[in-house]
Amino acid sequence: MKILAEIEESIRISAESIWANKLRAFLATLGVVIGISFVVLMGWAISGLDKALQDSINLIGEDVLYIDKWDWSGGKRWQEIRNRKEITYQQAKQLISELTLPEVAVPLASVWNAQVKANNNVYSGLSIAGTSADFGRIPSGDVEKGRFFSQADERETRPVAVLGYKVAKTIFAEEDPIGKEIKIAGRKFEVIGVVKRQGTLLMDFIDNRIYIPIGNFLQIFGGEFRRSISIGIKAGNIDRMDEVREEARGLMRAIRNLKPWEEDDFSINETKAFKEIVSTFRLYVWGIGIGMTILSFVVGIIGIMNIMFVSVAERTKEIGIRKSVGAKNRSILFQFIVESAFLCFAGAMTSVVLCSILVFAVAKILPNFVPETAFLQPFLPADFVFYATIVAIFVGILAGFLPALRASRVDPIESLRYE
Amino acid sequence: MAENNNHQDRQLLIDLQHISRVYQVGIEQVFALRDINLKIYKNEYVAIMGPSGSGKSTLMNIIGCLDTPTGGVYYLKGINISELDDNELAEIRNKEIGFVFQMFNLLPRANALKNVELPLIYAGVPKQVRLERALNALKAVGLANRINHKPNELSGGQKQKVAIARALVTNPSIILADEPTGNLDSKSGEDIMKIFHKLWLEGNTILLVTHERDIALHAQRIVRLRDGLIESDEINHQRVMFEEVNE
Repeated sequence: MKILAEIEESIRISAESIWANKLRAFLATLGVVIGISFVVLMGWAISGLDKALQDSINLIGEDVLYIDKWDWSGGKRWQEIRNRKEITYQQAKQLISELTLPEVAVPLASVWNAQVKANNNVYSGLSIAGTSADFGRIPSGDVEKGRFFSQADERETRPVAVLGYKVAKTIFAEEDPIGKEIKIAGRKFEVIGVVKRQGTLLMDFIDNRIYIPIGNFLQIFGGEFRRSISIGIKAGNIDRMDEVREEARGLMRAIRNLKPWEEDDFSINETKAFKEIVSTFRLYVWGIGIGMTILSFVVGIIGIMNIMFVSVAERTKEIGIRKSVGAKNRSILFQFIVESAFLCFAGAMTSVVLCSILVFAVAKILPNFVPETAFLQPFLPADFVFYATIVAIFVGILAGFLPALRASRVDPIESLRYE
Repeated sequence: MAENNNHQDRQLLIDLQHISRVYQVGIEQVFALRDINLKIYKNEYVAIMGPSGSGKSTLMNIIGCLDTPTGGVYYLKGINISELDDNELAEIRNKEIGFVFQMFNLLPRANALKNVELPLIYAGVPKQVRLERALNALKAVGLANRINHKPNELSGGQKQKVAIARALVTNPSIILADEPTGNLDSKSGEDIMKIFHKLWLEGNTILLVTHERDIALHAQRIVRLRDGLIESDEINHQRVMFEEVNE
């Protein structure tokens, strides 16, 4: 009861004294406001990043792996990877035919920065991917309009193309692209489908791709095509990943004629690699965020401590009055610590309000101009708001301790005489 | 020393034995109080008089448990005050002492009611009881209609009445008033003295510190200090009494 009454009294006094010196209190808490804003915005960025990551994983499929010359995780030495032999179409075909466990396996050959003619315009910066009809069965091949090309299209090397979402938008805008004609390296292709919009923060190139049957692809680029082909494998079930991976590795080693003591000269890439990339990125965000946060909290603590010392000095008489009517030293100590904590809490609330407005505005407006930022959410992560508030109160207690100690030691006789 | 025969059957509240208070100023020792022996009984009305520098403020601080003596022993209701630490002194002040200061010493941002409630907060009295007792104390000084006023909205006399209500609210053993009329015009001063008189009639013990003879004449007993010693301690035979005290 007694402690409750003192807390209530302390909060009331702090609210009054903050209200009486609004501008001063605001300036004093600025450091804390900035610190809290960092924490909250960092949490917001990270939660957006997590969502972007999850989107990418969903897009590729968690049960999908890619056999490739190149390594996604970036963990291996670049030089070593560069010197690997290319994976040829023959090898890819052999692997796909020998695999027994996976649901689907498709070859994927791509060229970047190809030129496409359509509507009497030339479009550059698009990528062309040659693949098999089975690509339509993995998440990246989901069509929004029309259809993916069929086994028959593939067998007969019909000139058909499936457009990425952005390609369709760029070339045809609001027109229906189905049945339209485009020219790739001078050859005519008929558009038969458009892939769903899939762009995410990590894989925005994917919407800029045009898919054609691999046979046609090799006819066009075969002569000078020296790039490696990768093989996309969908296990069909996340539990079967290990078996599928081992089967693929074994077959691929045989196809590549590796001796038992030689290392794999190819990589088996999975969405796990994204998690690794994101976790490194996340570490950077945390590192920078925490550095900035600590810095601004240090500034914040100094600001709060300073203002609390001023407040103690100004209210020497009040302290004397309180002591004369029976306030113990620890009641005074407590009162000023509560005041400092309350000040920081008010700072935290200010920052939450400001950040909410900022975040809402950014998440609502920015994607209209930069579509890649569509993963940003228009609200703050509740757990970060909670932690930030706890940290702010803790900072308040820390910053208020010395001034409060000085207040508690004020001599009542001296302070009553104080004018 | 003037002794009142009635003292024997009254409760001894304050018992100062050979009290001294020395301040160290640089290398010099300043004796504010040299050897004070003073007994105050329940329901006495005592005035302490003396010129400035006579030690009356120091004496009041010691009696009010704001300060501790450097020599001698001080018993308040049988408790040896000289041995208590800061927190114990605070508790004694809260329970046993009601201060009324010359400068009123009210909290400027709190209204009259909150000011009067303050000692009860530190005493741990529940909110409802606190309000009730604070209201009663304000009624007792005739300020029931000013409870929501802040000190800067009150006249000097009214401020002092709030201060008296605050001193009364804990039912202290003794009310210590340090020049309570020093900052008031004579009319308000007289009002305040009437209130003290009424409180005395109701059984309170009052210790008045003043250098004004007119004010001291309201007390039953006058103690005169000079140079840290008691110069005289006698019954006030020219006592000014209020005929009618109706607030």
